[in-house]
Amino acid sequence: MVELGLNVPSLISYLINYIILLVLLGALAYRPLLNALDSRVDSIRESLEAADRAREEAATSRSAIEEELNEARREGQRLLDQAREAAERFREEEMGRARQSAEEFSERARADIARERDAAISEVRAAFGDLAITAAERIIRRSVDRQAHQELIDQVLAEGEQALRRN
Amino acid sequence: MTTKRVLLLIGGVSAVLLIVGFVIGAVGSQMFGLGDPFVKQPGIHLPPDPVFPAAVRENVVGYRVADKSDDHGESQTEQAGSEAKDESKEEHHGLGLMQFAVTNTMLSAWLTSIIMLVFFIGGARKPKVIPTRLQALIEMLFELVLNFASSILGPEMGRRAFPVVATIFFFVLFNAWIAIFLIPIYQAVGFGANVGGEFKLATHLVRPAGTDLNMPLALALVSFVFVEYWGFRAHRFGYLKKFFAFGDLLRGRPSGLINIFVGFLELISELVRIVSFTFRLFGNMTAGEILVVMITFLVPFVATQFVFGLELLVGLIQSVIFAGLTLVFLSVAVSHEEH
Repeated sequence: MVELGLNVPSLISYLINYIILLVLLGALAYRPLLNALDSRVDSIRESLEAADRAREEAATSRSAIEEELNEARREGQRLLDQAREAAERFREEEMGRARQSAEEFSERARADIARERDAAISEVRAAFGDLAITAAERIIRRSVDRQAHQELIDQVLAEGEQALRRN
Repeated sequence: MTTKRVLLLIGGVSAVLLIVGFVIGAVGSQMFGLGDPFVKQPGIHLPPDPVFPAAVRENVVGYRVADKSDDHGESQTEQAGSEAKDESKEEHHGLGLMQFAVTNTMLSAWLTSIIMLVFFIGGARKPKVIPTRLQALIEMLFELVLNFASSILGPEMGRRAFPVVATIFFFVLFNAWIAIFLIPIYQAVGFGANVGGEFKLATHLVRPAGTDLNMPLALALVSFVFVEYWGFRAHRFGYLKKFFAFGDLLRGRPSGLINIFVGFLELISELVRIVSFTFRLFGNMTAGEILVVMITFLVPFVATQFVFGLELLVGLIQSVIFAGLTLVFLSVAVSHEEH
């Protein structure tokens, strides 16, 4: 073996050489670089996940917005319907009331007119009765000529007219 | 158009150099009787050369130079020559088992380590979310190893095993490749010596660390200790039952003898891994170096390029095998199968 070059100090020197290489490379090359590779892998994975999350969030928020929009649209429609209904109801109520009051008014007017007419008729009737009686009295009390007769009648009529007008 | 021309020029020059290399190399010079080949026959010696301290280097290189002078010495008789060779074998010219010296392979390993530290720490110390080009390259390399580890051990254990396995992988890979990329330094820089009145390169300053038996052995020991540590951590002392399976025999079952035998085989195979790890890497790296010098000797210049390409592949394969086998052994050690 010595002829082949086996030499214990050389062997030890190679072992030390290897250990120094291992320690220095391990501390200053392998560890920093492998850690950097790991952290790069992590950061790529994280950013991919973040992108996925963002995409999902965007999708969910878009659907939420659409849902809200639909809800708002529905709400608006509902309010509009309600308002229209209320307006309709109000209009009908008002029209009913107006019609009723008009009817009442015309009814009352008609009643008033009837009453006035009745009163007038009864008044005229009473006046004419009185007049006839008065005329008859006068005719009976005095015997007068035709001219006086006519004057008397005229007088009575005039009085009657005056009495009507007064009333 | 110009690119095509440049490529044609390079191809043409390469072809000419290939032919010239063949003619003046060892093969051609024998075929055509041109005398000595352009590149001298390389001397192959498996142990790495000591570089510092200088006295040890002089000693080892001196022996080798003397050896070569002996080989070429004409005054000595046949008998004396063989005696001298026998003596040299007994003496052993390299480092002793416990003798300390900084070898050229050790220097190469240090150079590789420094380049690795600068490269990896420079690119990965302060990582940015948007990576620089260097950081992206290192991230890719780390992820390759991490995915490899995770595919064998699962994500959690793969992450735990990553530092040890990645360091083995990159150390083997960088050792193999830096020797190829810095070929001028590795092949041409060294210490000279006077050999037979001629001054020539006697020992290289740096030599690929994979060709030093101690480097694969150190990594094999690291791998072994790492695997056994995780085996113990996963099974506590139950891990030892795999190797010392006396349970059935103590309960009075004769078939327990088979279990003891199987456990003994497991123990042997566990220990033999160190040897197989060591010699697989050592053999491949050394064979690569020998192939390079032999091809340079036989056909100099361009032919060696193909061998360099092959060596790049071998370096990659060996680092994958070393890391992969460590992972497989680890997965066997921590798996919760019943024995």
